[in-house]
Amino acid sequence: MRKFLSRSLNEYGMLLVLLLLCAYYACVTIKPSATDGPAGGESCAKLALSEMPAMHSAAIVVGTAADAIGFANAAKARLTAAGVGSIRVMQGGPPEVRQQLSQSIAASSAPDAILTTTQDAAWVERIQANLPAISRTLLVIPKVRRWPVFLTVQNLLNIGDQIAVIAVVAVGMTMVILTGGIDLSVGSLAALSAVAVSLMIRDWAGGVHAGTMAMLGCSLLAMAICGLVGVVSGSLITLFRVPPFIVTLAVMQIASGQANEWSKQQSIHDIPASFTWLGKGASLLGLPNTLVLMVLLYVLAHVLLSRMRLGRYIYAVGGNSEAARLSGVNVNWVILIVYFISGLSAGLGGLILTSELQTGSATYGVGLELFAIAAVVLGGTSLSGGEGNVIGTLIGAFIIAVLHNGMDLTDVNDARQRTVLGLVILGGVLADQLKRRPWSLPSWLVSRNVADSETKRSPAEKTLIEEKTI
Amino acid sequence: MNGWKNVITGFLAVSLCVSGCSKTETGSTGTTQPASNKPIIGVSVLTLNNPFFKDMADAMIAEGEKKGFQVVALSGDLDPAKQKDQVKNFITQKMAAIVLTPCDSKSIGTSISDANAAGVPVFTADVACTADGVKVVNHCATDNLEGGRVAGRAMVELLKGRGKVAIIDHPTVESGQMREAGFLEVVSASPGIEVVAKLGAEGAREKAYAVAQDLVQSHPDLDAIFAINDPTALGALAALEKAGKADQIKIIGFDGQPEARLAIKAGKLYATVMQHPKEIGSKSIDNIAKYLSGEQVAAKELLTPVIYKQSDAAADADLK
Repeated sequence: MRKFLSRSLNEYGMLLVLLLLCAYYACVTIKPSATDGPAGGESCAKLALSEMPAMHSAAIVVGTAADAIGFANAAKARLTAAGVGSIRVMQGGPPEVRQQLSQSIAASSAPDAILTTTQDAAWVERIQANLPAISRTLLVIPKVRRWPVFLTVQNLLNIGDQIAVIAVVAVGMTMVILTGGIDLSVGSLAALSAVAVSLMIRDWAGGVHAGTMAMLGCSLLAMAICGLVGVVSGSLITLFRVPPFIVTLAVMQIASGQANEWSKQQSIHDIPASFTWLGKGASLLGLPNTLVLMVLLYVLAHVLLSRMRLGRYIYAVGGNSEAARLSGVNVNWVILIVYFISGLSAGLGGLILTSELQTGSATYGVGLELFAIAAVVLGGTSLSGGEGNVIGTLIGAFIIAVLHNGMDLTDVNDARQRTVLGLVILGGVLADQLKRRPWSLPSWLVSRNVADSETKRSPAEKTLIEEKTI
Repeated sequence: MNGWKNVITGFLAVSLCVSGCSKTETGSTGTTQPASNKPIIGVSVLTLNNPFFKDMADAMIAEGEKKGFQVVALSGDLDPAKQKDQVKNFITQKMAAIVLTPCDSKSIGTSISDANAAGVPVFTADVACTADGVKVVNHCATDNLEGGRVAGRAMVELLKGRGKVAIIDHPTVESGQMREAGFLEVVSASPGIEVVAKLGAEGAREKAYAVAQDLVQSHPDLDAIFAINDPTALGALAALEKAGKADQIKIIGFDGQPEARLAIKAGKLYATVMQHPKEIGSKSIDNIAKYLSGEQVAAKELLTPVIYKQSDAAADADLK
């Protein structure tokens, strides 16, 4: 049992860190949270009636939020049922509402109570302070409950959405790193794909009137361009034995240069609104499409790496490329394919960006490669290749996203955010190194029996790795 | 057992960083901890590395204090995707209003439409949003087109109508485009002045330094440079000083940042177009306060910039 526990902690240590991070941010972001929408309207009306049982007239004042009208209708229904004679609903921005309020006061009289949402309370109070006729009128807002902002459904979906691009790019990056390579060009390729797809939609598919199939075609073509660039990087690496770092560094510059050149350094925005389906839509059970796509991609990549021959070859090449070659693996093909996949996933990342922002620009993707590498490394994939998996990468990506989001919600300034992120990446990698090579712990840190159990387990682990690579 | 130890080590590292850093004081980068029940205004500017936006953000925080708001100012770091995430987080936190200096005038459109749907009013400062179909309550900025013309007139006067000029620009943001357009409008009316090069430096000092070094090489007979902002002008100045060409090539900047004004006083820069970032910042918050108390706010508020030369610097009380 104890062995099982320690083993699973070894495997899922980063998952634990992720959960602890979530728990931490859930604790520190507890704030009064808005209960707007129909439920809020209901509770607001109840509260108003309990505070003023003999209410004759009421004004329900809401802003322009999408759920505001639900609030107003629910509150109105409740007040009508309680027999309140005159109920006026006013919706709009502050100036419109103020105008409606003063008109209605001039026409009849000031209402007994004003009901509003939590979100709009701040400006309604200000309007009240400026209109003497209602400055002392009872203002009712729904009872607020304390709830972590971090754990609201919208915020959790935001996190998934915010990490989508990095996570998608990291799929390809994981495979590249598993072969012992690195791909620095992914950020620039994302920009190239963004520029390519928006240019093609503008110039070939009819701009803002482009049809769905045409947009799909342009998107696939843009991804293909990036995949092709990946193949070029891969062939330079295999044919001329140039280190991947150098090749992809050069390709990064070229791709970024081309993206700037194609776009003439302007953002390209002649894209139909329907193009935002991927980045902003939520077709399946209200889940953002980016999230669904991401999960799908990770399942696919996981199956490829763990169940398919190509996957075994990728591990084999990364573990020991000479041994892989001798056992009949076509090492060059494997390397070519992983850079192709990396190019494709970078292209897809660029498509998501374009779709989210409804604009293509060469300024996208700056530093994206570093975040993707960070996600891979945090996920426990060894930079020397042969060890790791995509599920770890997904966890790594989420650690980055949760940290970013959590720090935004707790108003950590940008300068400090970078430092924290760097430290966390460092901490994650150190923890991972300790896990891999426990014998490198200073002797005073390792008690004797722990050291013993380690030496006992090491051969078993080695066999496991060998099994993987063959 | 060792598994425990490793995990604990890892977690300690993480939790230490997090707990140590997540509470932040009113820092130099201009963020504040939400402490009270004051309505919060979320601000995301182009970059806080440029003193212009730093001044603007600081003025917003100060004005917010006066008007009973808490202002949280973040840097978009010139990254449209990062700014999009910041706006999303503002919306999640149901901020009373959002002020943006878009990193990309078009890309920001989708974020603003999200805020519109959530009923959070959006204001823009300095850089406008040029996307269609989104609602921005008020845009407060320098009249950049007029500012470009002001710079152009100063250039014509400086060169007495004859000479070779280079522009170091930042064409991806609307304000940069307008300044360049205004400048070219005036300069192209004088046939003796030839614009020999237009190179981009993203408004950043270190990039302008490199670009100006190359300009000196490619156009040894250059007479003047128009830099679309002061960091660009100062970067170019450093390059000219290094090349020993600071006397031959005159620079006109744009912003009126303290360091540039000092350089003008010392005769190193010829002139700059004076903007008022603090005024833009405080006006923006002022407009938000007006709007939230139900007053009508004009859709656009443009401040006219003026030229600032050595004679102005000599009389500048701030520099003494």
